[in-house]
Amino acid sequence: MKIKILFIILFFTTNINAQELFVITEPASNMPSNSIGVRTMNSFMYENNGTLNYHLMPELMWGISQKWMMHLQSFHSNRVGGGLKTEGGSVYAKYRFYSVDDIHSHFRMAAYGRYSINNADIHQDEVETMGHNTGFETGLIATKLQNKVAISASTSYERALDNLPNYKFPTTQSHHAINYTISIGKLVYPKIYNSLNQTNINVMCEFLGQTLNPNGRSYLDVVPSIQFIIRSQARIDFAYRKQLYNSMLRTAPNGFMIKFEYTFFNVFKK
Amino acid sequence: MKSIKILLGILFITITSTTQSQQIIKAEIMATGLTCSMCSNAINKQFKSMAEVESVNIDLNKNLFIVTLKKDNRLTPNDLKAKVEKAGFFVGSFVAYLNVDNMAVVDNKQVDDFVFIDTKPQTVNGIVKVKVLNKGYVTTKEYKKLQKTYVKYSSYSKDNNKAFHIKLV
Repeated sequence: MKIKILFIILFFTTNINAQELFVITEPASNMPSNSIGVRTMNSFMYENNGTLNYHLMPELMWGISQKWMMHLQSFHSNRVGGGLKTEGGSVYAKYRFYSVDDIHSHFRMAAYGRYSINNADIHQDEVETMGHNTGFETGLIATKLQNKVAISASTSYERALDNLPNYKFPTTQSHHAINYTISIGKLVYPKIYNSLNQTNINVMCEFLGQTLNPNGRSYLDVVPSIQFIIRSQARIDFAYRKQLYNSMLRTAPNGFMIKFEYTFFNVFKK
Repeated sequence: MKSIKILLGILFITITSTTQSQQIIKAEIMATGLTCSMCSNAINKQFKSMAEVESVNIDLNKNLFIVTLKKDNRLTPNDLKAKVEKAGFFVGSFVAYLNVDNMAVVDNKQVDDFVFIDTKPQTVNGIVKVKVLNKGYVTTKEYKKLQKTYVKYSSYSKDNNKAFHIKLV
């Protein structure tokens, strides 16, 4: 009996290759059908005035079919003081429209869209529908997995609208942007699998850029991270976001992030 | 009247057992498009959700799933393939162990759901190991090659879920 050949273990996990479970960006792959994922993103960002803000972004994910998935997310922060305040929420959908798989590799493409609402004051040039602006984003993702390395690129159009309840988007600012990302992930441990209980370790690096269409201002950030997959069921990411280049007003570009994720399988039968 | 019922009962059992003569008792399925144990577990969970599945053993390094099925199941290769795809992956290789009862194998002749191809005429009995060669049961690259190799089998080059083209291995 080969030791390699293994057990039946009933733990929950997600389907996409861990190397492409990036901290900031989404891969073109989807969750398994009929499963539900819960996720919390905790960001500790340094404001330009020296204070450290906490942003909490819990997320509920649903694998509708092998091609469709959907996320619901809410945004909370203590940026304005007086404790954690709920600032808004978003709905996100992704459609995987292309997939070529081979042994230990795949190339996939997906299209996605997000609509968000937010009740915070508009305080920076950066257009960010994840927690800052009411608005929408739509884009394309391509992900290539080859053995233990995944590389993913995306581009999107993002447009800010007026924030709630009546924070008008400033007419002096550019309200729409093009985003581009490149993410690379590598499985560094284990070298050889012998159990679904083994902790997997991935190292990742993401580059996130934005250019505001009307005035041409832009930024580029780098996000190195380390990810632990525990007992093939839970995921913990530690990341640091660092601005590399910037020509726009951003109030808190740098900071630490801790992300937790858990997936419940076959929640819906059939 | 009672004897007719018994007779009908026996007849029914005979017919039923005949239709189950090529039952899949075990399948060795290699999945493509993944390299990590989390993904393997996603497929594992899909198989385990099926009432007909007795057990699933996994070779994580090869992405190979050995699925043992319960007695008297009526699953087809398509039912198992659908589960891999629901997890978000594809099938790269599908070997099935069929339980057959003195079956006369004739090349390119369909018997129930199966068509033997690339096979010499013979009679098989007991547990036979076959590889499913249809589109979606081998890698995309392999299928392109096989389409040329098996050009003489007219039913082969179709996306065919009614006839599983199999070869003794």
